[in-house]
Amino acid sequence: MTTVTSETAGALPLPRPRRPRIRAGAFQWGIWIALVGLVIGPFVPLLYASFRDRPLYEPGGVFKVEPYREVLSDPAFWHAARNTFEYAAITTVLAVLGGALVAILVTRTDLPGRRAFGALVLLPLLLPALGLIVGWIEIWGPGGYLTVWFDTRLHIKTLAIDTILGMSLLETVRLLPVAFMTCRAALARTDASLEDAARSAGAKPLKVITSVTLPMLRPALLNSATLIFTLSLASLGIPLLLGTSHNIQFISTYLYYHWTNAATPDPPSVAAGAMILLLIATALLFLRNRLLGAEERYVSVGGRANRSALVSLGFWRWPLALGFVLYLVFGTLIPILGLALTSVVTVLTPLIAPWELFTWENWQALGTGQFRQAIENSALIAFVGAILTTALVTAATLVAHRSRFHLRKTMPFVMLYPRATPGIIIGIGFFWAYLVTGVAGDWLRNSIWGIMIAFCVRNLPFAYIVMYPTMARIGEELDRAARSVGASWWRTSGRIVVPLLRPAIFASFALMFIEILNDYDPAVFLAKPGTDVMGTVMLSQFQQGFIGQVAALAMVQVAVTVIVLGIGARLFKLGALGGRHDA
Amino acid sequence: MPEIHVEKLVKHFGEQLALDDVTFRVDEGKLFTLLGPSGCGKSTTLLSIAGFHSPERGRIAGGGEVFFDAERRVNVAPEQRNLGIVFQSYAVWPHMTVFENLAFPLKVRRVKRKEIRARVAETLELVEMGQYTDRYPHQLSGGQQQRVALARALVYSPSVLLLDEPFSNLDAKLRERARSWVKDLQSSLGLTTIFVTHDQDEALSMSDSVAVMDRGVVQQIGVPEEIYRRPANRFVAEFVGRVNLISGTVTGFDGRSVLVEVGDAGVVLRATATRPPKAATSVTVAVRPEAVTLGAEGTQVFNGTDTFVARVHAVSFLGDHYEYELVAGRLPLSVQAAIRVPGENVRVHIPPDACAIVE
Repeated sequence: MTTVTSETAGALPLPRPRRPRIRAGAFQWGIWIALVGLVIGPFVPLLYASFRDRPLYEPGGVFKVEPYREVLSDPAFWHAARNTFEYAAITTVLAVLGGALVAILVTRTDLPGRRAFGALVLLPLLLPALGLIVGWIEIWGPGGYLTVWFDTRLHIKTLAIDTILGMSLLETVRLLPVAFMTCRAALARTDASLEDAARSAGAKPLKVITSVTLPMLRPALLNSATLIFTLSLASLGIPLLLGTSHNIQFISTYLYYHWTNAATPDPPSVAAGAMILLLIATALLFLRNRLLGAEERYVSVGGRANRSALVSLGFWRWPLALGFVLYLVFGTLIPILGLALTSVVTVLTPLIAPWELFTWENWQALGTGQFRQAIENSALIAFVGAILTTALVTAATLVAHRSRFHLRKTMPFVMLYPRATPGIIIGIGFFWAYLVTGVAGDWLRNSIWGIMIAFCVRNLPFAYIVMYPTMARIGEELDRAARSVGASWWRTSGRIVVPLLRPAIFASFALMFIEILNDYDPAVFLAKPGTDVMGTVMLSQFQQGFIGQVAALAMVQVAVTVIVLGIGARLFKLGALGGRHDA
Repeated sequence: MPEIHVEKLVKHFGEQLALDDVTFRVDEGKLFTLLGPSGCGKSTTLLSIAGFHSPERGRIAGGGEVFFDAERRVNVAPEQRNLGIVFQSYAVWPHMTVFENLAFPLKVRRVKRKEIRARVAETLELVEMGQYTDRYPHQLSGGQQQRVALARALVYSPSVLLLDEPFSNLDAKLRERARSWVKDLQSSLGLTTIFVTHDQDEALSMSDSVAVMDRGVVQQIGVPEEIYRRPANRFVAEFVGRVNLISGTVTGFDGRSVLVEVGDAGVVLRATATRPPKAATSVTVAVRPEAVTLGAEGTQVFNGTDTFVARVHAVSFLGDHYEYELVAGRLPLSVQAAIRVPGENVRVHIPPDACAIVE
């Protein structure tokens, strides 16, 4: 060793690495401005519009609190608010309790088939929302297949799903996975030896769960409760499709009808109502951030042991497994089958055998007119939008976590913010934003790209949530090593960090593609004839009673979703999708 | 002239003071060690030199070039400092082969392809990894990855080498080998090196000089022998090696040593010192267990000075030595001895050079 007289050390010193042509700081500012502009920007004209006495495009408007007074003095608004809170409260309680129970059963007990349950219970969150709702209506709605079948064959009255309780049950099935994933992640983080210790100290399994496991889950429960409450406050699909028959109005549908049925177009009172909802959602987001901070206290050290001590359920193994199967079959599987069946019959009813009502017409219709256009539009904006969103979020995640840009700490919050903002409010926000931005805004307003931007912003948090855990796993020393050997921020990002992020980038693209394809609520204020997307066509066709065509469109979404998730899971181990829990 | 000057660095993390007036100088070609417990600020200091942390105050210069100067708002980007660094995790890029890992710093410097190949091959030979050129990091052992990390930090002839706990992920046997190997490499290349560790053995055996840090403050700087034998304060004495800390009362000064009465059995220790301690009468004396000599109770060796009798409380055998727990009156004393001394009581001899007054 000592004999080496290195030429390396003796060699002439190498040239210093060159400084990059474009300063990293300029790029980082650019990304920050683009991000904040897209996420927060649309709410500025909305806020402005909510304080005017007439729509922004009409000259001569003056500052007034009138729109707020109008909304807050409308008894219908308060009625809708009461319904909304009742709905959100029931959903939150049921989804959080259910999600925690499933998480404990799946991770800590010997429930048969627990691994499959853990995956299947996520389906309602991943499947296209509108399709699932239509499937539920076809099966469990008034006149639905099983509703009628139970009534005529067994004389059992099933729960009416067009009531507040019934609607919140459906929302529970959709949002239970959120609580499930948060709790499962928390359980995976906690050290199973904490529970082992309680057992060797003499506690029975059930006692262990109630006195050790559940208290450790408390932050996860609070965290998912606030998120689920926020999400169900802003839910549009279920109230719109189910609430109308009994005229059960929610804040979201109240705003929607006031917008579409307004005597004077684009009333400022809707902007005011949207601002109120946005304020509530934002307040809840801040509350949640405080709770997340508290969660760190509960992260137990050395939680890598994931061999999870199994609590034996004994006699209850099979009854619980059966309950699980029934939940999955009646809550998800049969509604999706019903949706598929609806798409190939003239009407779905247990009174006449489906093969006698068989028809290809619904599917044939998809190849023509507005359906074909909507499918093409959706596919195009999903593809382009997924690429653009993934690129922006990759860049923004790099700046947020791998740079010394001094506003970087604001970026995770900005990227997660749209998760807490109701989709319809993003829609109204962009409507006003396009109206006040002149030629560019007009062009966006009259093309599908305006809708694409709204969808991208709305779903951007998912891209970040997929990206962040991978980024966090890439040791910071890897890019410090690159900087120390002379690579600029650009080069380090391009050659070290982005290649290591590749699986998350693909996962983000796949997830963005299906989320944008299946999204609908931001578009209800933006779509026009010619710029319709699948979601908006489904809503309007449903309201006109063309269920078969809605079902066919929904099945297209279901098929694409299943294929993309399947390929994604195979290729990139989309375990990352499980990361959605931190939303 | 790759000489490193670190002057008066101050840095907070939130409320917490991470670096408090950290100052030292590293001479050209020397291996300088920052030693301390975790959270003492040693890594923060190293990362500040590398450019990954910006202190609030202070100045860092290397080889006549100012890297950082809070007052003059100088802060050279990490990639422009031309330093080599080996991280605790090695940070070998997992998606690149060994060759690509080493070629990267050269590509960044627009070195010609032919020269890249030559330099990479030569540097890999230097770390004895020549036959692993096309392997990916996951195909290498921890020790091999560490060599690659070191080669990557050397391939572009940096002016200074920084090592951030590079041995802590190796097992004990390998660690000892790696230690002497890195030391050999460093001295044969004559590389100015700053080394961060919490392991006193590493620090003492490898360094030309050592800075002991605690809570963001440099407690003592000196050559290893000085740090070990003449600890500046209680913290250094306790952190570096095992030590008996004995409190006592100053009773006099004889020109070469301070007389300290300890315990309740009338034992007086002489501690070598050039000047008498300040007015303080109560002091603490640090005595290393292996610096104490034992004899049978009846022997009159040691010329009768600096000696007293103590009772044997416990003895344990540790292979190459015996570990004694002694008590003289109420004064407990740990002693490491090569031989077993018979009897319930033993004669203890503590030479003045073995006593350091630490506060």
